[in-house]
Amino acid sequence: MKTWLKILITLCLAGIVSAFLFNHYVINKPHPDYEKEPAKFSLKASELYKQYTTDRKTSEKKYNGQLIEIDGKYTRVEKSDTSSIVVFAFNQGMFGDEGIRCTLLPKYKTAIAAYPKGSEVKIKGFCSGYNDTDIILTKCSIQK
Amino acid sequence: MKKIIMILAFASALPLALNAQKFITKNGQISFVSVAPLETIEAHNDQVNASLDMASGDFNVKVLMQSFEFKKSLMQEHFNDNYVESDKYPNSSFVGKITNIRDLDTTKDGTVTVQVKGNLTIHGVTKSIDAVGSFQVTEGTLVGTSKFTITLSDYNIAIPMVSSGNISKTIDITVKFTLTKLS
Repeated sequence: MKTWLKILITLCLAGIVSAFLFNHYVINKPHPDYEKEPAKFSLKASELYKQYTTDRKTSEKKYNGQLIEIDGKYTRVEKSDTSSIVVFAFNQGMFGDEGIRCTLLPKYKTAIAAYPKGSEVKIKGFCSGYNDTDIILTKCSIQK
Repeated sequence: MKKIIMILAFASALPLALNAQKFITKNGQISFVSVAPLETIEAHNDQVNASLDMASGDFNVKVLMQSFEFKKSLMQEHFNDNYVESDKYPNSSFVGKITNIRDLDTTKDGTVTVQVKGNLTIHGVTKSIDAVGSFQVTEGTLVGTSKFTITLSDYNIAIPMVSSGNISKTIDITVKFTLTKLS
């Protein structure tokens, strides 16, 4: 085989492999595994609420967009059209309970039933921020 | 003395009376879609706060931008980091009114078309918008839905030339709020 043909085939193959890798690891990279990735912060649910409500700017910079783990006695579980939400209520405001709302990953919807209302639970989730009434955690998993 | 008792009784009952006129949700749903020649991008958020005051017609919505979920992780990253800059502007909001609130009777099942008018704030920019929606009343629960379109440049969201084939200049937004009476 001629040398120029070998170089051309090698370049074509390298191009195809690069395109595949770029597509797989950059364009279509998977979402983080919120269940398995370690939490960046771990603290009491009441402490997280206190920090957001006393120094919102600092807390938004620190926790928004981070995977965090909280623990404490939960108040209730709410069911919406699409999800199950574990609620930690710490305050009463104009629109009812205010606190932390944790939307569970689908596989944990039934697991929360093992924890009686008001019992201690440890939850890890992605912190979306504070919306004037509640701190929102999504993609939540129950930690042992 | 009687007057004082009456005033105290009135004052203690007032918050209950005001709450009775309010309908809220903390699990409101907002979806948006961008249809461009090279790509259709969709995102969904189901942790939206919304409240409706039946007496005044005040209708308020609060949205955390980081709660929008995209099919592709890279799209979600670009949305938060490059377009809406959710670290600088974590919240979006709508503050407005349902101008024909008198047409909405929460005691009667049925569907009512409503006119919504107010200020939409996204990316730190506030613009006045009008939209048409509907409320379906079923046993005292109000399911409000609406669809409207916004132009990204109105909110200082710039699309780079290289992405112009992937992201539309206008975004179609769909909202659904299941509002229950605040007890």
